Amino acid sequence: MSHAITLHEITKSYDGFTAVERFSLEVARGTVFGLLGPNGAGKTTLIKILTTLMRPTLGDAFVEGHSVLTAGKEVRRLIGVVPQENNLDRYLTARENLTLHARLHGMRPASYNPRIDELLEMTGLASRGNDFPDTFSGGMQRRLVVARALVHEPRVLFLDEPTTGLDPQSRRALWDYIRGLRHKMTVFLTTHYMDEADALCDRIMIMDHGECLADGTAAQLKDAYSRAHTYQVEFKRDAERYEGVLAGLSFVKGVEREGAVFQITLADEESIKPLMDHLAGADIRRICLKEPSLEDVFIALTGERVRE
Amino acid sequence: MFKGAFSIWGRDMLVLRRSIVSELVSVVAYPLTLYLAFGFGLKGYITAVNGVPYPLFIAPGLISMTAVNAAFDESSWSMWFHRRVQRTIEEYRVTPVTVYDIVIGKIFSGFSQGAVKGSVVFLVILALTPFRIDYTHLPSYLGCIALSSMTFSCLGTICGTVIDKPENIGRVQSVIIVPLIFMAGIFFPLSSYPSSILPLIELLPTTAIFEGARDALLTGAVPTHYLVNLVLSAAVSFAVAVYVFNRKMAE
Repeated sequence: MSHAITLHEITKSYDGFTAVERFSLEVARGTVFGLLGPNGAGKTTLIKILTTLMRPTLGDAFVEGHSVLTAGKEVRRLIGVVPQENNLDRYLTARENLTLHARLHGMRPASYNPRIDELLEMTGLASRGNDFPDTFSGGMQRRLVVARALVHEPRVLFLDEPTTGLDPQSRRALWDYIRGLRHKMTVFLTTHYMDEADALCDRIMIMDHGECLADGTAAQLKDAYSRAHTYQVEFKRDAERYEGVLAGLSFVKGVEREGAVFQITLADEESIKPLMDHLAGADIRRICLKEPSLEDVFIALTGERVRE
Repeated sequence: MFKGAFSIWGRDMLVLRRSIVSELVSVVAYPLTLYLAFGFGLKGYITAVNGVPYPLFIAPGLISMTAVNAAFDESSWSMWFHRRVQRTIEEYRVTPVTVYDIVIGKIFSGFSQGAVKGSVVFLVILALTPFRIDYTHLPSYLGCIALSSMTFSCLGTICGTVIDKPENIGRVQSVIIVPLIFMAGIFFPLSSYPSSILPLIELLPTTAIFEGARDALLTGAVPTHYLVNLVLSAAVSFAVAVYVFNRKMAE
């Protein structure tokens, strides 16, 4: 069995609302898988089902071959979970938080004490082991939650928006830990940050309204779904005159203007030549192909409307 | 089996140990004040109830009241706080422990707090007042406190599980728990009630708790109907608490 995670036709409905419908997915062992989607897309529902916090209405999910419906305890033995919100115990020190987690996993002091030392060292919290989480910065608390999820050496790690609310330095530090886990375990990540998915994930799935919209590596998604024929043109003068000209061209699919800079989306690759013909004689400062980003793909697939 | 429950109970006891002094000062102050105010303040007016000196009449009930209040407070607030504020219940639920481990661990934490705090109030009343007992009666009295704390710990767990707004836990205490305690004859004999409502009062679990505790401490025996009431209340509330928590977690 080469799949660490399998979702088989999962449906989850609550009070007449269907969050996820007949959703299927397989995640290869040892990879970092990223699930992207706007608020309400169904990401957290899937994580809750996979971590046995929620039962699906229909279908079944498997973690390392164990069903979340019939072998929940075995599933929980194999997973580590970093939830969206820090749920550290503020009345226990950092070390005691990790110790309690180890005990709940049935570990003995002889095995969990060295492991906790190693994790506190790895997350840069070794000197703060006897301090309470309330005295930590947001980044330190997040690192402690990740350390806690790793105490029992899980085979699958679930990270639900792990860097939300962190400053750029803390985000980068957390990315480094996650990169270090690649190939040691399977990582299932949800995030709103496209740069995060781009930097960390071997495979990315974009979902919305409980359905998969796109699936592949970051490069594949950019290639397949982005506006690949978008050029940026900056005029030295007479930008107003060219706005009307460009909008009237049949092979121009879209024009966005910001001052003297135009973003021009062409119908196809061949349209660049007639475009240059129409701009012949114009006083142009700069013309370049706009590189697609994962965010372009995301917006193209899920729309620009703000979700509740 | 129940290793998870033991770990959760161990966590709660560690936290209690850290704040034991401040906890005990606040816990002892209230019943001791009542004992001094009623036991000594009314001694000149009420010398004895059914042949029992008034300070001795109210002491067992005050100790039991401390225990059951502590058990209810710890279970209800702890369950609510861990579920709604700190969300540590969710952390427990993604480990291999079962929901039964979690609820049993929490119930035993409430029970332990009740037992510890009740015992300390007992020792303080013993040290600071002329209140004296026959120590051979102690085992049956402690048995009563254990069953009472278990019942109130389960009731607290149910409240902490189903109530989302903290002010509503306070309301349950004011509207249900406090009247149940004060109606059960801590400060006056049940014979003061009109005969028409006395049978109903005698069915209350709190009546079994306070009357049973008083009989246990003064005579060394708990009347059978109170003992049955105590055991049944503890068993039923335990079953309901486990069921309610299990249902809530499945939502």
